[in-house]
Amino acid sequence: MKSIETILIMAIFTLFLSGCVEKEILDDINLIDGIGFDYVDGKKIRGTIVFPIFIKDKPPENRVLTGESLLKKEILQDIQLQAADPIVTGSMEVVLFSKELATKSGITELMDPFQRDPGVGSGIYLAVVEGETKELFEGKYGVRGNSTHISDIIDENIRNEDLPKTNLQIFLADFYSEGKSPFMPIIKKKSKDVVELTGVSFFNKGKLVETISSDKMFFFKLLVDKYSEGLHRVKIEEGEAAIRSIRSVHHYKLIKKNPMEVEVTIDVQGIINEFNGDKMYPNLERKLNKQFEKEINQECLALVKNFQEKNIDPIGFGHFVKTQIRGFDYKKWHESLYKDLVVKVKSNVEVTEAGVIQ
Amino acid sequence: MKNSFFKKGGKDKESKDIKDKTSKKENLISMSKDYKKVIYTNEKTNIEFKIEYISSLVDEKIIQKSALPYLLEKEFTKITDIKEILPIAEVEISEDPKQIEERLFTGFVVLTISSNKEKFCFFSAQKEIGRNISVPEVEFSVIGPKEAFVETLEQNLNLIRKRLPVKELIVEETTVGQLSKTKVAIIYLQGVVDDENVNTVKQRINDIKIDQITDSSFIGQIISDNRNSPFPQVLDSERPDRVAAVLSEGKIAVIVDGSPHALIAPTTLIEFFSSFEDYLLNWILASFFRVIRLFAVAFSILVTPLYVATLTYHYELIPQDLLSILITSRRVIPFPPILEVLFLELTIELLREAGARLPTKVGQTIGIVGGIVIGTASVEAGLTSNVLLIFVALAALASFTTPVYRIGNTIRLLRFPFLLLAELWGIIGIALGFSLLLTHLIRLTSLGRPYLEPIYPTRLVDFKDSFIRLPLDAQRKRPLYLRSESPKRMNPKGNKKKDIDE
Repeated sequence: MKSIETILIMAIFTLFLSGCVEKEILDDINLIDGIGFDYVDGKKIRGTIVFPIFIKDKPPENRVLTGESLLKKEILQDIQLQAADPIVTGSMEVVLFSKELATKSGITELMDPFQRDPGVGSGIYLAVVEGETKELFEGKYGVRGNSTHISDIIDENIRNEDLPKTNLQIFLADFYSEGKSPFMPIIKKKSKDVVELTGVSFFNKGKLVETISSDKMFFFKLLVDKYSEGLHRVKIEEGEAAIRSIRSVHHYKLIKKNPMEVEVTIDVQGIINEFNGDKMYPNLERKLNKQFEKEINQECLALVKNFQEKNIDPIGFGHFVKTQIRGFDYKKWHESLYKDLVVKVKSNVEVTEAGVIQ
Repeated sequence: MKNSFFKKGGKDKESKDIKDKTSKKENLISMSKDYKKVIYTNEKTNIEFKIEYISSLVDEKIIQKSALPYLLEKEFTKITDIKEILPIAEVEISEDPKQIEERLFTGFVVLTISSNKEKFCFFSAQKEIGRNISVPEVEFSVIGPKEAFVETLEQNLNLIRKRLPVKELIVEETTVGQLSKTKVAIIYLQGVVDDENVNTVKQRINDIKIDQITDSSFIGQIISDNRNSPFPQVLDSERPDRVAAVLSEGKIAVIVDGSPHALIAPTTLIEFFSSFEDYLLNWILASFFRVIRLFAVAFSILVTPLYVATLTYHYELIPQDLLSILITSRRVIPFPPILEVLFLELTIELLREAGARLPTKVGQTIGIVGGIVIGTASVEAGLTSNVLLIFVALAALASFTTPVYRIGNTIRLLRFPFLLLAELWGIIGIALGFSLLLTHLIRLTSLGRPYLEPIYPTRLVDFKDSFIRLPLDAQRKRPLYLRSESPKRMNPKGNKKKDIDE
């Protein structure tokens, strides 16, 4: 008898409490997969959402809706007035900020809802857009929808090209870390149906302060991430060589404490894929190695110098030094120590193959 | 006042009835057309004797060929002489008139001599009508023995005895059912089996008070530990090889006259997913198929509830590439996911029921009509999405992979509570349902032995024959949970093949 009572009570609870769960039936909601923010004036921002409309046997169509407001959630409310089905954020893929917005008013407040919303995955990509995000979303790229296309571009560049690994999780970790400053890729609408990755932008306390172009990205990635599949061109007198299958690792070492001196060692391995000179000799190979090392040393050092001048630290020297020194004081670090930090870059390049026919 | 009056009257009537019955017993029997009573006279001694039998139970050939010639032509004066002149093994002399009825209805012929009506002689002349041993149909296997139990108890015992020709194989027989008088045989291997289990089975079967037993499933249901559980707690098998194998592991088999299925107890959940064919294959293959079967069962129970849960609550879980397929196939459907799923699941259940009830040839047609026509038509009509159609069809297919038919039925049923919970609570509901199911399984016992063994209670050694079947080398000991009196069943480890190196 007692078990019947228990079952009854449970059944009642299950039935009645299920009213507390909100239903979101897949085909009765607008799954936004991209959101972009543009600068309007000092106070207001304009939000643009894009959601796909799936059509059988065809690439999805993109619907773009915009709203203007002070807060991100308010923007969604504003947009909701224009949408027939509830807008949900759970399948978001990219969040874009216009460069103007990022430079002028910063993105700190805009980031907040994304870290609070449990429906938003931490693996989504953030990017800065040269131009307006609304304009970018209104194009038609790829066959899988605009946001998916943009996220695929970033994904592909992280996997096989020169963009260091980044996503919401990493951005937020850097953002809240005192010893590191966050970065985002920059994308640009090139034409009606082409989006391009043009570089990396660097933030200081939520505001965009510096950008580098895509040709410098290779060196930035050497400094902060490791390569498993990369490509770079090296020019010497005898010709130009393309080095493929680059693998790299970096090590930081604190060698002096007063003044602080950090040595960055970068080990690079690669295969010569293409050479437009006459013939490949072993000593040409050595020459290539030397040239490549020289390039790495120069460019990386230049990058670091530039970061120090702008007082940003996307490489995370602060974080690294803190792990090496007991009683490390971030205040001092930000005031003077970082600017005075001496960074040395050492690189070892090894070309393991030069092609089958020599 | 009125009540007591009626009661009294009733009682009187009853006792009168009984009296009538006893006096009319002879008449009652003679009312049946197949009751035969013939009087003969012995040619040599001129003794008059009477034989009585039920013609539908008795093989008249035996009477004509092995009894009457001797009774008529050989000399006999007393009833005790008959034992010597009849060339029939089962001849009994008795003075107890109560036995007459019982013997008559078990295929004996009753012989009385007119001069001495106190004593009776019974000799057996049973008619053996039954089908021949055929190929197992429910538990079919491609390789291995191809014989299955039939409805006759003796024949079934013969099949088992042939595989275990030792004196330790004990066959105990009892009768169950006031009307059906069904013979029930409890079979076990003395010295291997745990006596406690034997006593439990015996006691439970002896306690049965029921008018009739049609099939072994009746016994199975009655002796189950928890009669409200959808899970079968005794395994039924139609394969004598399987029964012989589990007997030698230390389990108990119950065979019921008139049923082609033997009951095996105690059993565990895992056993329902192991086919006997697993033991006939190499262990790697066998383990692979077992894992596939377990996966199929999990799939079959969970796939449609997960579909409902994901589509109703957890759209975040769906990969971007799948979204397009799901949304486009669902957009035209007017129902929420739960109704869509219920519609298809019930259709499949209908097809299954119809297919099972109809004669084989019509059944096939129903399968084709149902599977192809209804399936595609309902997708085209926009009642269900084609993604779901695939899921439901696969789930139905997966539920058929269970080697024991009974557990397949359980799996068919289990899906529905899960569906309901998925609709109400999403994946949390499924988790809740799973917890309830697990609680139920943990508490379930078979003959008082844990049903979820070796998972709970954890018996690591018994994993050798559960999700995977380890090679025979690893099966040197009988399963631990059977508490066998002699756990070892193979020669100890380490004998190499004694081949001669040349």
